[in-house]
Amino acid sequence: MRQQHLLVATSALGLIASVAIGGANAQDKTIKIGALLPMSGPGAYFGSQDKQGIELALEQLNKSMVNGYKFTIQYEDSACSPLPASQAAKRLLDQYKPDVIIGEECSDATLAIMPIIEQAKVPMINAGSSALKITDPGNPYTFRIMPNEVMQGVDIASQAYNKLNARTAVLLFENTNAGIGNAKVFKETFEKLGGKILAEIGFGRDVNDFTSIATRVAGLGKIDVIPTYTLEGQGLKITQALAQAGVVKGGDGPAIQLGTIWLPFGFEQKAGKAATGYVRIVQFDPTDPRDMVKNFVSAFKAKFNSDPTHLNAHAYDQIMLIADVVKRGAKDAQSIRDMLAQTKSFVGVTGSVEFDKNNQNVKMDTIHYMETQPDLSWKALKWN
Amino acid sequence: MTATIVAQQAINGIVLGSLYVLVALGLTLIYGVLVQINFAHADFVTLGAFAAYFVMHALGGQYLLGIVAALLVGAALGWAINITVFAPLRRKGNELLPLIATIGVSVMLQNAMLAWFGPVPYAFETPYSQKVFRVAGTFFTLQSVIIIAVSATTIALLYAFMKFTFLGKALRAVAQDRETAGLMGINPNTLIMLTIVISSALAGMGGAMLAPVLVLTPFAGASVIVKAFAIVIIGGFGNVEGTILAGLLVGLIESFTTQYLDPGLIDIVVFGLLLLMLAFRPTGLISERREENV
Repeated sequence: MRQQHLLVATSALGLIASVAIGGANAQDKTIKIGALLPMSGPGAYFGSQDKQGIELALEQLNKSMVNGYKFTIQYEDSACSPLPASQAAKRLLDQYKPDVIIGEECSDATLAIMPIIEQAKVPMINAGSSALKITDPGNPYTFRIMPNEVMQGVDIASQAYNKLNARTAVLLFENTNAGIGNAKVFKETFEKLGGKILAEIGFGRDVNDFTSIATRVAGLGKIDVIPTYTLEGQGLKITQALAQAGVVKGGDGPAIQLGTIWLPFGFEQKAGKAATGYVRIVQFDPTDPRDMVKNFVSAFKAKFNSDPTHLNAHAYDQIMLIADVVKRGAKDAQSIRDMLAQTKSFVGVTGSVEFDKNNQNVKMDTIHYMETQPDLSWKALKWN
Repeated sequence: MTATIVAQQAINGIVLGSLYVLVALGLTLIYGVLVQINFAHADFVTLGAFAAYFVMHALGGQYLLGIVAALLVGAALGWAINITVFAPLRRKGNELLPLIATIGVSVMLQNAMLAWFGPVPYAFETPYSQKVFRVAGTFFTLQSVIIIAVSATTIALLYAFMKFTFLGKALRAVAQDRETAGLMGINPNTLIMLTIVISSALAGMGGAMLAPVLVLTPFAGASVIVKAFAIVIIGGFGNVEGTILAGLLVGLIESFTTQYLDPGLIDIVVFGLLLLMLAFRPTGLISERREENV
């Protein structure tokens, strides 16, 4: 009888222990994601929109988990600026100890974070910074899923020359790594094709009134295109000032403003009539007929009661790419890095991903050219 | 063509300078009376901008009523913050405490606005922004005309208030010598309150005027406040006339630097001028004894 009691007690203890161990394992099977995103300052709209995409992806993934792993996230405000970004990265690595990081949006901030995450040997997936240096030479721990400034710049300059028959251009750009870099690539490509750059006008992020810049542009003679590289707030003011000065189509002028993915969806509605004729790259086409995109759009609408932007979509894809490498067997920082480097055929809502030896996505199917119509809707130009 | 460009940039500079003057006047007024720098002034500007935005939209595009609302919101905010923060700290007799408190108020307001209004830039289009006049090769919007008209009227009213009303004279007396003014039957605390309310109202109104120009986010005021501080120093701390002159000068410098040099050099030119003023004319453009400034 006593032996029987002992047996039952031992079995019970064993069961409790196995449950406890099992529970501990289940608890341990977590992929910790650190998010370094701008939550304050002029780039804060990136962070707020990224966060929506992330939350939707995590909600979907954690319902069923991936290979038994659940995903958790911690956000740090990196403010689109090198110093706060570096501090946020150190804080995140010291305190949260993530397996993988996503961010930053602004190139200067991303470049500042890169040596820190390399030293910590934690991979980072970037979806918003276009500066070439991020992946050329880059480092083994930084991955970029969007086209870099050269890929975008060469394409947009070629399209301007060939499709819009542009022969003269004025470059407007913020004085940051990304702004200067993007403008430089456009200039080199456009001049090589035979175009002429009439002026290169850079400005700080503290400039508010663009009337003086528009006046200068108006005095430069016949301008075909005005490639513009700024964040949303300054972009709005530039577009409106150029229209007031009668330079661009939105102000009944001849010039066409060209933009990149820096501007979020909804820019046209804010800029109003001034945005008419604006041609820009967007990296997510909400009318894409693929089921994956349709499901994403409907899930996003159901959760946030609004249409997703390319920033929402990019952030969603970053998390889904992490889930993809976990599905392929990754379980910690090093294996996530290694699996990311081997990524050849990830398909997300923005497009597909295949990393080259520098961890740059080589796919160009995320670039869509849109022209703003007088009713502020988009017309897909289908140039790619 | 060159003459047209010069004329256009002069118009641009005067419009921009008028906006700077509205923001800088409040700063210089507070310094003139309290000998205190208000680091929260930028956030009063931002809150005024948001007040104008929401009132204008609520009233179906009544921008002018938005300006009035911003003025009232600024005044109410100044009154509330003085009652709850500045006045109690002043009573402790330590001049450093209210200064530090202005930094605290600034951070608090910025984060409160971030929570209320979110980080995404607002597009503040007034019914007058799209009305463009083209005269002899130059252009300006109806909004620019309103900016200049409101700025000029505000300056004239402020000047008249200071020079010809009893309260204005009492304010100047407090600025000259707070203790002696108290002995003459003037309540310095009431006058200090009035100064803060006027200054905050000016900031609020400045925000309403700047909002269509600014990239309107909870951090919008910060982008103009550094220039406003520079203007106050160039004009002479506490000197209203100097501030007006310096504001217009900085606006013109910005425009012509953009045209003939590079917009990236604006800060170098403006702050270079500030350093030169500090080195060679620290009393500002219009030299006066400090106690007579306000």
